[in-house]
Amino acid sequence: MLSESRITELKIESEKSRKNVIRMLKASNHGHIGGAFSCIDMITALYYYKMNIDPKDPSKDDRDIFMLSAGHKCMAQYAVLAEKGYFSKDILDTYGKLHTKLPGHPNMHKLPGIEANTGALGHGLSIASGMAMSFKQDKKDNKVYVVMGDGELPEGSNWEVAGIAAKFKLDNLVVFVDNNDLQISGRVNEVMDMTPIDGHFKAYGWATKNIDGNNMSEIVETLDQLPLEKGRPTAIIAHTTKAKGLKEGEDNVAYHYWNPLPENLEIADRDIDERIEQLRKEITE
Amino acid sequence: MIGDMVDPRKEFGRAVTELAEKDDRIVILSADSGKSSGFGDFMKNHPDRYYECGIEEQGVTGVAAGLAATGKIAVFCAIAPFVTCRNYEMFRNDLGYMNQNVKIVGRNCGFTYSDLGATHHSLEDFAIIRMIPGVTILAPQDPSEIRGAAKAMMDIDGPVYMRVGNPKIETLFEDKPFEIGKGTILSEGDDITIISTGSTTPAAIKAVENLSRNGISARHIGMPTVWPIDEKLVKESAEKTKKILVVEEHYRDGGLGTIVTETVSEMRDVIVRRHGVPKEYATTGTYEDLLELYELDEKGIEKKAMEFVRQ
Repeated sequence: MLSESRITELKIESEKSRKNVIRMLKASNHGHIGGAFSCIDMITALYYYKMNIDPKDPSKDDRDIFMLSAGHKCMAQYAVLAEKGYFSKDILDTYGKLHTKLPGHPNMHKLPGIEANTGALGHGLSIASGMAMSFKQDKKDNKVYVVMGDGELPEGSNWEVAGIAAKFKLDNLVVFVDNNDLQISGRVNEVMDMTPIDGHFKAYGWATKNIDGNNMSEIVETLDQLPLEKGRPTAIIAHTTKAKGLKEGEDNVAYHYWNPLPENLEIADRDIDERIEQLRKEITE
Repeated sequence: MIGDMVDPRKEFGRAVTELAEKDDRIVILSADSGKSSGFGDFMKNHPDRYYECGIEEQGVTGVAAGLAATGKIAVFCAIAPFVTCRNYEMFRNDLGYMNQNVKIVGRNCGFTYSDLGATHHSLEDFAIIRMIPGVTILAPQDPSEIRGAAKAMMDIDGPVYMRVGNPKIETLFEDKPFEIGKGTILSEGDDITIISTGSTTPAAIKAVENLSRNGISARHIGMPTVWPIDEKLVKESAEKTKKILVVEEHYRDGGLGTIVTETVSEMRDVIVRRHGVPKEYATTGTYEDLLELYELDEKGIEKKAMEFVRQ
C-alpha cells in the first residue's frame, strides 16, 4: 500500500501533465481535451508507478508497453511522456504545427515511447493482444496496458480479439476502459448502450473490476492487484469524468474537442497551479 | 520437376513450414484457415507458434501487427477477399502505416473459388492493396515461384501481400532465387509484349506458342511481382514492341494492367491493352468455364493478342 504522500506526489505529476496538455493547446488552439483529461490520471499512475520503462531507452527489450486504442486522447500520453523525459518539452509547443512529432493521433515512427499508430478506433486491443501473445510465447515478463474509450466499444473488432485474448490466457494484458460516458453525439449509453461493460468482457472470459478512474488511490490499489486473475486478461472499467480538471468543461460533451480562447487556457493553467500548490501543502503538512 | 502438377496451397504451406523450421521468429495465424492453407504439419510440430483465432480476420490482422512489433514474422493465410477486403483498414493502418513485418497470403485468389460466387472471388486485391504505401505484392506463377516467393517475403522486413490460387498448377520453371520487383522474359518477340502474372502465365505461355505458329512474335514477360513494378523491363518492352497486352485474373481496372499503363503513360506511341475481368460480379461455374467466359484461357489470350497486333 502506497503512503498518502506518495499518492499525493502522483496526483501532482498528473496535474503537471495536465499543464503540458494546456501548453499543447496554447500552441495549436485545438485538441481532444475531454478524453485526454479523463484518462490522464491512469496514464500517470502507469508511467510513474507501475510500468517497467526507461525514458532514456524507450525501446529496451524488457519494457512494458502502453498503448492508447483511443488514439485521439494522445495529448495525455504526450504530456506524460514529456514529463517523464522521453523528449524535450519544447516539442509540446509544436502541437498542431506542420511536421510536428505530436500529430492529432499518435505515430510510432515520429515519437519515442509511442508503440502503435492508433486513431482509427477498434485497433488497439488487437495490436496489444498480439504483443501480449508474443511475450507469452517467449516467456517474457513484459506487460501490455491499453486505454480504450467507452465510445469505441461498439467497434466489432474489439470483441473479435476479446475472445483471442481470453483463449490465449493473456494475463499480461490489461485494458482500462476510460468510461467518461460521453462521446461526440452525447451520452455513451444513448448513442449505443454497451452496458454492462464489465459484463461484456466477463462473457468473453476476462477478469474485470470497476473503479473510479480519476481517484489516484483506487488506481494504484488496482495496479497492485494485477493481474486480477491468473490466466485471464484484465479489463478495468474506469469510471471517469470527461475533461476532468478543466473546471469549465467537466462532464460537458462540448469539450470532447475544444477550440479554446487564450483566456480560457490562462484560467485552466491557473486552476491547475492552484491545485498543485494545494497538493504540495498537503505533503508538507 | 517441370511439368508436374502441384497443389499451390500445399506447396505454400510446405515452403513456409520449411522456412519456419530454421527461423523461430515465424508464427502462423489462422482464422479457421490453417489446415486449408497447408499448415497441418506446422500445427502438429509447432503448437507454440501456431495461433488458431477463429473466423475473425480484422482481429487477426491487428494481432499479427502486435506479434510483428515484438519481433515475430507473422504469416496469415486465408481466402483472399477475407484478408484484403474484410480487414482493409487493419491492413492499411496496422500493417502498412505501422510498417510491420507481416505476410498476408490470399489463397483461392481470382475466381479460383469459381462456383462459390462473387463473395469468394478476389478480383480487386491488387488494386486495393497497392493503394497502401509500402506493401509488396507478389503473385507467383508456378510452384517453384511459390517456394521462392515464400522465402523472399520472409527475407524482407515489411508487409507483403501474396496471392495463391487453388487448383493444381504446372511447374514451369527450375528453382531459382525469387527477386522481388523483377519480371523475366519468358520468350522474345517484336510484334507485341504480353505481360502476365500469377495464374494467367501458364495459359499465356501456350498462347504465345500458338501466336508464333501463326507468324506473330510476342515478347512474353512473366511478372510475379505486381508491386513494386519492374519499371525498367516494362519501359524497355514498351520501347521495343510499342504494344503491350497485360493479362491478369483480376479486374481489368486497378490491377497490373493499370500499373503498366501508369508506368508507360509518358512514353510516345505506346498502347497498353488491359485484359482482365470487366468490373462486375462474376458469374459462377467451373474455373475452366470462367476462364473461357472471360477469355483468360489459352484461346482467349491468343485471340486478344491477335486482334491487338492486327489492329
